[in-house]
Amino acid sequence: MGKRTIIPFGPQHPVLPEPVHLDLVLEDETVVDVIPSIGYVHRGLEKLTEVKEYTEMVYVIERVCGICSFGHGWGASAAIEGAMGIEVPERALYLRTIWHELSRIHSHLLWLGLLADAFGFDSLFMHCWRLREKVLDLFEKTTGGRVIFSVCKVGGVRKDVDSATLREIVEVLKGMAPEIRELADVFMNDSSVLNRMVGVGVLTKEEAVELGAVGPVARGSGLRQDMRLNGMGVYDRLGFEPIVEEAGDCEARCKVRIREIFQSIELIEKAAMDMPDGPIAAQVRGNVEGEFALRIEQPRGEAFYYTKGVGTKFLERMRVRTPTNQNLPSLVKMLKGCDFADVPIMVLTIDPCVSCTER
Amino acid sequence: MSFFRMKKVVMNSLFKKPATRMYPVIPREFTSVTRGHVEMEDPEGCLACGICAKRCPADAIRVDKSKGVWEIARMQCIQCNSCVETCPKHVLVMHAEYTTPDPEKKVDTYQLHHTEPKVAQVGDFDPQMETGDAGLVCDKESCVFCGLCARNCPAEAIRVDRAEKLWEVDKDACMKCGLCIEKCPKKCLTF
Repeated sequence: MGKRTIIPFGPQHPVLPEPVHLDLVLEDETVVDVIPSIGYVHRGLEKLTEVKEYTEMVYVIERVCGICSFGHGWGASAAIEGAMGIEVPERALYLRTIWHELSRIHSHLLWLGLLADAFGFDSLFMHCWRLREKVLDLFEKTTGGRVIFSVCKVGGVRKDVDSATLREIVEVLKGMAPEIRELADVFMNDSSVLNRMVGVGVLTKEEAVELGAVGPVARGSGLRQDMRLNGMGVYDRLGFEPIVEEAGDCEARCKVRIREIFQSIELIEKAAMDMPDGPIAAQVRGNVEGEFALRIEQPRGEAFYYTKGVGTKFLERMRVRTPTNQNLPSLVKMLKGCDFADVPIMVLTIDPCVSCTER
Repeated sequence: MSFFRMKKVVMNSLFKKPATRMYPVIPREFTSVTRGHVEMEDPEGCLACGICAKRCPADAIRVDKSKGVWEIARMQCIQCNSCVETCPKHVLVMHAEYTTPDPEKKVDTYQLHHTEPKVAQVGDFDPQMETGDAGLVCDKESCVFCGLCARNCPAEAIRVDRAEKLWEVDKDACMKCGLCIEKCPKKCLTF
């Protein structure tokens, strides 16, 4: 047994997009133990919901995450709608689904860029983010915001999208698909990329179940688990089927995300075609009374929302559990026994969002 | 094989237009719906009712009715558009351009110019007028209990029940914005 060294990794680290802190216990170059700690970017957003009216609170909850902001807004709105028994109009559900899937495309492209940056492939990183910019432009055109949209509200959505803009969204995405395919080809076939990912950070199916992995991490380990199957939005009408890879290593998680981008493009295309006419928001009267919990599939995995109201304008409690929170035990498991040089790649393949985790 | 692929990428990149913009020489184009920053367009028309400040989820807006001051903390504002949507007088406007970066946490202050107290006219309410204890009054003789006042009340201070011919106002919640007086089809509401 060699001499043990503890190396602090993060919260400020050139490779980390998010301030996660890991104390890595090393024996020579091998990681033997990992002690994660969080608390660097806690903002107290859950507490803030207790002093803000539940209708405006949705815009606060959106700020839990800058990448899956729409998912958070939807989750919070849906939890309140559930507690109040509000039925959301069909058109609003379709629009929510489209924006949510666009968020997934932009989140996964962002993640692919960060992954390329982590293994030092900077031109690939720039190309991923160049494509992501087109999705952000679509967001700005339809919602008014580039990353935080403030378009989801309790009872429906705040902005409608006309059929010409819907067609434009589909055309832009169709135009992007060949370019994404070119990038995907590099991620899946380039030997310098594969050398860094194949067989690295293996998480078996049993371990994924045991450690409660969610999202692409779980699906990359062969687990057919996706909250879009649970009836949120209109996924059941779009013939949604989760994407699963069996290998459980970094490459499998990367493949899941790449395939999900193409799947999201198809889902948006179908949703835009089937979009019904009608109102975009239901009337909201009264205050929240009762409690409600739901799970929603965000780009990074399953997020959980719990809301409780006691008949006042303010919520008694709003609880958000984010996907990274769930994936941290899996990350610790993956890191044990790996090479020190592989740590950044593995941290990235769970797509950590520490700002979400700490809220 | 990979040599040809690489050559193709290099040639493409040589002749393609750059993906970036020469900012600030070429300014950014905003869409018609971009939420850049909130502006007080008409300080004369503002009632200082404070609904914007109440609805602001980030506590960025402060309204001082006694001094006639409306303030917005630019760093705190999250451009959610709530204030613009709820303003009963539509004096707040969302502009597409972002505010310029600033090393200071800037607070923009607007002085609201109110005229001297005068007798209220229907649809022309002055918030500085002394309304007395009576507050909002409904002439039940001409009221048809349509509920438009209640539906338009931004403070949800009015309750109307057509079946029971009930009209009541929560005087504490009423912000005296005068919107109900404007909306009333029978013009039976007065301060």
